[in-house]
Amino acid sequence: MRQWAMVIDLNRCVGCHACTIACRAEWEVPIGNGYRRNWVKHLGPEETPHGLAFTFYPGLCNHCDNPVCVEVCPADEVEVVFKDPYSNKTKKMSVKATYKHPFTGAVLIDKERCLGCGNCVEACPYNARYLNEDLEEPKADKCTFCFDRVIRGEEPACVKTCIADARIFGDLSDPKSKVYELVHKKGAKRLVSKEVNIGPNVYYIGKEKDLYLLMKQAPTKRTWEELE
Amino acid sequence: MKRRDFLKLSGATCLALASLELDNRFLRRLEAAEVSELPGSLGAKEIPSVCDMCFWRCPIIVKVKNGKIVKIEGNPKSPTNGTRICARGNAGIQAVYDKDRLKYPLKRTGARGEGKWARISWEEALDEIAYNIKKVKEKYGVHSLALFDHGASAGFFREIFEALGTENFSNEPAFFQCVGPTILAYLFTYGYQAVDPAKIDFENAKAILLVGSHLGENVQVSMIKSWITALEKGAKLIVVDPRFSVAAGKADLWLPIRPGTDMALLLAWMNYLIEKGLYDKDFVKNYCEGFEEVKEAVQGYTLSWAAKICDLPERDIKKAIEILAEAKPHVAIHPGRHTAWYGPQDVQRHRALAILTALLGAVNVPGGMYFPTKPHLQKAEFLELEEDHEVEPPEESLKEDIPFANIFHGSPTDCIIKATLTGEPYPVKLWGVCGVNLLQTIPNPYQTIEAIKKLDFIFTIDIMPTESSFWSDIVLPDATYLERYDRLYVCKENKCYVALRQPIIKPMFESRPPFWIAKELAKRLGFKVRFKDEVEYLNHQLEPLKLDVEKLSAQGGIAVFPAKPFRDKEDLSFGTDSEKVELYCEAFEDEDFDGVPKFIPAPAPPKGYVRLIYGRVPVHTFAKTMNNLWLNHEWPENKLWVNDKLAKQLGLKDGDEVILENQDGTRSDPIKIFVTPGIRPDAVYLAHGFGSRSPMMTRAYKKGVSDTFLMTHYENDPMMGASSHRNNFVRFIKDGKVINIPELRPVPPEIPRFELKKSA
Repeated sequence: MRQWAMVIDLNRCVGCHACTIACRAEWEVPIGNGYRRNWVKHLGPEETPHGLAFTFYPGLCNHCDNPVCVEVCPADEVEVVFKDPYSNKTKKMSVKATYKHPFTGAVLIDKERCLGCGNCVEACPYNARYLNEDLEEPKADKCTFCFDRVIRGEEPACVKTCIADARIFGDLSDPKSKVYELVHKKGAKRLVSKEVNIGPNVYYIGKEKDLYLLMKQAPTKRTWEELE
Repeated sequence: MKRRDFLKLSGATCLALASLELDNRFLRRLEAAEVSELPGSLGAKEIPSVCDMCFWRCPIIVKVKNGKIVKIEGNPKSPTNGTRICARGNAGIQAVYDKDRLKYPLKRTGARGEGKWARISWEEALDEIAYNIKKVKEKYGVHSLALFDHGASAGFFREIFEALGTENFSNEPAFFQCVGPTILAYLFTYGYQAVDPAKIDFENAKAILLVGSHLGENVQVSMIKSWITALEKGAKLIVVDPRFSVAAGKADLWLPIRPGTDMALLLAWMNYLIEKGLYDKDFVKNYCEGFEEVKEAVQGYTLSWAAKICDLPERDIKKAIEILAEAKPHVAIHPGRHTAWYGPQDVQRHRALAILTALLGAVNVPGGMYFPTKPHLQKAEFLELEEDHEVEPPEESLKEDIPFANIFHGSPTDCIIKATLTGEPYPVKLWGVCGVNLLQTIPNPYQTIEAIKKLDFIFTIDIMPTESSFWSDIVLPDATYLERYDRLYVCKENKCYVALRQPIIKPMFESRPPFWIAKELAKRLGFKVRFKDEVEYLNHQLEPLKLDVEKLSAQGGIAVFPAKPFRDKEDLSFGTDSEKVELYCEAFEDEDFDGVPKFIPAPAPPKGYVRLIYGRVPVHTFAKTMNNLWLNHEWPENKLWVNDKLAKQLGLKDGDEVILENQDGTRSDPIKIFVTPGIRPDAVYLAHGFGSRSPMMTRAYKKGVSDTFLMTHYENDPMMGASSHRNNFVRFIKDGKVINIPELRPVPPEIPRFELKKSA
């Protein structure tokens, strides 16, 4: 089963925010409180058990294996025939307004059917979604791994612009891919805690001291269970 | 409606409209009519051009849909940045569509700096500027005219002022507050312009030394890429910086040096290399002059002495030089960029870096210094001057006492400001300002304002209503780089190419491209312009390459040529008098400066104060981009970095607000503090460019604190006239009470202390 994934190399990242602006431009993400599809949080300079560290938390939707945002979507399921962008295969599936795409593993939102309730926004332990209330009808929005670009052979906007080539995107199910190598052979890490592990597909590599600061950013609140 | 109510309502009514929908997102060929329906920037029209969000000018692809710029990406044909551009480059769209842009020519109606304006026509604005230029020239002589300039399109105006005959035709703050000292140092050591940008092959280095350079926060895309690649390949990184920068975070060794003592460290390293025989003997023997003078001058500068002066552990200093010696000759030493730090020692500090580079043999080798390759362009002069056109130097030049100012165009900014204030050696009565915000760039902006008040006339050409615009008589709205042609961009790195900047959309509002403005002004001053328009001008330049604007654009906006960054060893000579690397500089000695650098300490903070240091954030360029919608949102204000132990002793917590008061009693607006172990306790750090004082920049106005407006003291480099930026000291004011700052790192007696003025 195909699973798109991203590995972010903190050894390369300089925290320049090119990724966040490229994303805002590409998808016309409006300026508003918490309105963003990706972000760069600065961590440190701070003492760690491994020495003084200064690194970043470049975050985006994790396109999780077990997306809790999909679970909490109240929209009725409809049957959709999905086509594999890489072949002619099709698959019929019943999905809500937000769903995990069967051929790429990307978690997507059907804007037509999104109710704008904000459940998924509150459920996401990574705070990766926002509710765009600038629209006539509010809609949830988030990173799609640049689905529309990628299926047309383009790189995700953040990957293409990254000045340090710190973002590596690919198919984790493909043993020949770079992301596979980084995850399975180079020990790229998921941002998870013992409380929250929903199978994020964004991974990080970096020095011990940098990962020490990053891991403090791992969510510990099971936000989706707190919803009414 | 609350989210939850909305949910109840829509959950009940919004049943599935169709039981079967087809997901139409898959690869297929698209008809032209469908293209604009594609999401994001997909299917947009793509036009190659060149970025101008900073001065490095990366080649870009601009994407346009329905006449609107929707996206900017790096030009994949560019051998330097490729598809990559930084945050600022990505946010270029918002430079065009900024609601606060200068839209029409403006004329001041109130007092200078009062901010009262009338909209006038281009005709009237240009007439008035030309009238004032002629009037001032007639009344006070031609040298009373001065142009402050920066950027891609200032060149046309520079030519006009040069043709008028003033010696002050291009006074670039970007030179005299920034890169000047190191350019001079490397020019007189290596005989070529090795600095702008740094001609250092980071990518293939085995060790990298950054002294006060915060690469990563200071962004040049191609340099970041090659630097990071080198680190991945295993290059060792040594960072000398009082602050734990992003670069320090990636370093093998961070040397948190006492500010103002860098030269001690460099001299001790040179001495160590020579004493231990670790220098590159072949390179020194075959390609350098003056080794014996250096050897003699640096003996006595020991590592233990440097450890005391620089407040660094001796073992770390030793470890660093051994890393560099081990990696020689593949050592990348950044020559520095913004180098106007302390005044008297600035050129020599970079001479020390240049000499250290040569001692390590890190020249003309992978990982070391390289030579640029120049494409063959035809010189294009904007003005067609009469054959007998002559300019006369002034009886007494502004820069008479600054022997090396003359090798650059224009005059040191400080000389212009002082002459404007005093009328000595001659009056300066008219300033043109093009693409530069003087008040957020030149130290002691209060003095600059006083000088402006003394002028007969000042006009500004800019895109945004900066502080400098705010203090002008006439303000002209420049077109952004996405609305105009410009001079060709010629890559000066280890790749060789020419790239075309071209208009993507028509100039918005009544803004006009600089070529048009300069042409109209030239006409009014009685000059003939050689070219009908920019295209004719550019085609003339491109002729030897058998290219023109149309062809260059059609081939992707860029013409790449083979580059030869390294010369054959037998051909290796330098542009100096001796054709060798001049470790000892006779020209300096002839003007009574040191032929080999000596240690001159910068005064330490007065008791109760810390040194104010500053730097860049990667999402902003100078004070230029703080009003940009996206960049402002990303990084709206700066915070003051305060050492954690110091903060604890003062009872300050992260996020507390303080006011800064400098050594002359000048105070800042309140600023939040960021408590961190990543800075020495004898310095505080502010990111540069924030705290705009122009109310016309509505997003940036009063956001954060301006470092420049806390710099009331500066000293001049006696060699080329740069004005220093790191001789200012602050203490805190919290809840109305002055907080004196304890000295956690005692100052040795060899370093003098800055003396407070009695009145302060």
